[in-house]
This record gives sequence, C-alpha cells and structure tokens, in this order.
Amino acid sequence: MLCGLASLEEIYRTEHGAVLQCSNKNCYWLEFAGDCTPFKVADFLNFRKQVADIAVDELLYAPASSADLTILMPFRSQRCFVLTVTEVLRLKELLQGAKFMMELPGVIKDCLKVSSLLSC
Amino acid sequence: MAPTAPLVINYLSMKDLLRLKTSLNEEIENILNEQVKVEAHSSAIYLAMSSWCDDQGFDFSAGYFAKQADEERHHMLKLFNYINDRGGKAISPEIVNVPKDFESFRSVFELALEQEMHVTAQFNTIAEKCFKVKDFVTFQFIQWFLAEQIEEEYVARRILEMFDVIGEEGTGRWEIDKHVPKVTYNAE
Repeated sequence: MLCGLASLEEIYRTEHGAVLQCSNKNCYWLEFAGDCTPFKVADFLNFRKQVADIAVDELLYAPASSADLTILMPFRSQRCFVLTVTEVLRLKELLQGAKFMMELPGVIKDCLKVSSLLSC
Repeated sequence: MAPTAPLVINYLSMKDLLRLKTSLNEEIENILNEQVKVEAHSSAIYLAMSSWCDDQGFDFSAGYFAKQADEERHHMLKLFNYINDRGGKAISPEIVNVPKDFESFRSVFELALEQEMHVTAQFNTIAEKCFKVKDFVTFQFIQWFLAEQIEEEYVARRILEMFDVIGEEGTGRWEIDKHVPKVTYNAE
C-alpha cells in the first residue's frame, strides 16, 4: 500500500508515534518505533484490539524471560512488532488516543445534526 | 493552546473511515460477540442434556433438548449475521466447560431454567448498553430475543413445576418425560 505524503492526515500523535489517515486509499498508517506501517481499516481495528488486550500486569509479574518481549504479527502486514513492556505501554497510549480521535468527528457530527434538527 | 477554528473544521471534514467501515459502536460489537458465545454455550449445554436424557431413557426430553440446542444455535447465527451485516466482525466462539453428566432428571431442568434466566439477564444488559450509546437499531434488533425469552423461561419453569405436580415416585419420571414436549407457551 503506497500513499502520497500529501494525502496523509494526522489523527493523533504522541511523543513516541502517530496514527495517520489516508483518505485516498481509505487506510491508516501507524508511525511507531522508527517505522511506518499501513493498515486497512478492519486490520487496524483488529490490531488495536490485540494491543488493548495485552495484560501489562501479567507481563510484569511473569518470571519467564520470554515475558519481557511481546511479539505481534498482524495479518496482511510485513511488519513484525517486537515490543518491550515500555513500548507496549506507549503503543497502548497511542492507539487509545487515536481511537478517541477517530470516534470524535462522528460524535460531533451527530450532535450538530441533532442541534440543527432541534433549531428547525 | 486550544485548536483554531479552521483546524477544527479541517478535522471534522476528514473522511470518517471508521463509520464507512462499521455502523456498530465497539462496545456494542463486543457485547454482541459475548452474546454469540453465550448462545453457542447454551446450545452445547442443551446438546449435552439431550445426550444425558437419551442415555437415561428419557426419550421425549432428549428430543426436547436437541430441539432447544438447534434453537440456540439459530439464535447465535442470528446475532452473528447481524454483527457482520452492520459492518462489525463476528467472532466464532470457543466453547469450553460443557458438562457431560448431571445429578438427576430434575436437576437437568433446573439447570435449563437457570441458563435461560442468565440469557435474559444478558439481553437486559445489552438493551441497557444500547440506550447508553443511543444505538436504537440494535435495540430494535434485540426486541425479538427479549420476547423470545418470555417463552423460554415460561416453558422451562412449567416443566420444572411438573416434578411437583406429577411427582417423581413410581412411574412419575416416565409421565413427566412424556409431557415435556407438550408444554407450550401461548401469549394470548
């Protein structure tokens, strides 16, 4: 998936990454840990759920050294995420913020529609 | 610093990819997928009950529970298709903890009633969530299930009452088994 830089719109950014939207190709881009990965909408939503479901407390309490790293391999993506606990927390923060910003325009538009209907 | 008006307008005019993909709120999609699991679990439990009844010689009850298992699967698919039809992603559930053995003929029906009451409670929670997020389309959709639960609970309770009315002694259980498929609900 290739998108021109000009077509990318920023949805949410933190100190450690960003989520961008390409309205031409209808896809999202995740900028994180020095790389940029495109996702189809459904794949992005699945990936977000996958990250949200990672139990950080379990990672911290698990005695096995394998628990120090979390590996995520999203389908239809060439990127493999190998994340430390800190990176998991950073990615969770980024995706949670992006989720809010993705839902917000719809909520605002609904409110505007309701208020315009009421003022008629 | 607060965003300036042009920035806000620009943000609002962005293509809403999320809504183009799905009309379901994430919370509603999750709770509906949970319900798919509950229905699939119910179906599996009823099938286990059918097998147990068959093994114990309660032929009519075995048939009754097999029919219930089919119905629950039908309910599951109805929810499953709704999630997909609305742009969400239905998840084929993993079914665990299905009992193989039951204490007694009566306990099977007690468990069946408890299961139906659990399903009703689940649908009440879904209805509450639909109101919370103002998803009246899904609320309308689950009306059918809520109405269905009246019948499910009524039939399960009526069958259970037969254990007291007929009594289990002598040929009581044989008599109860014979009457199980005859219990129907008439809302009129």
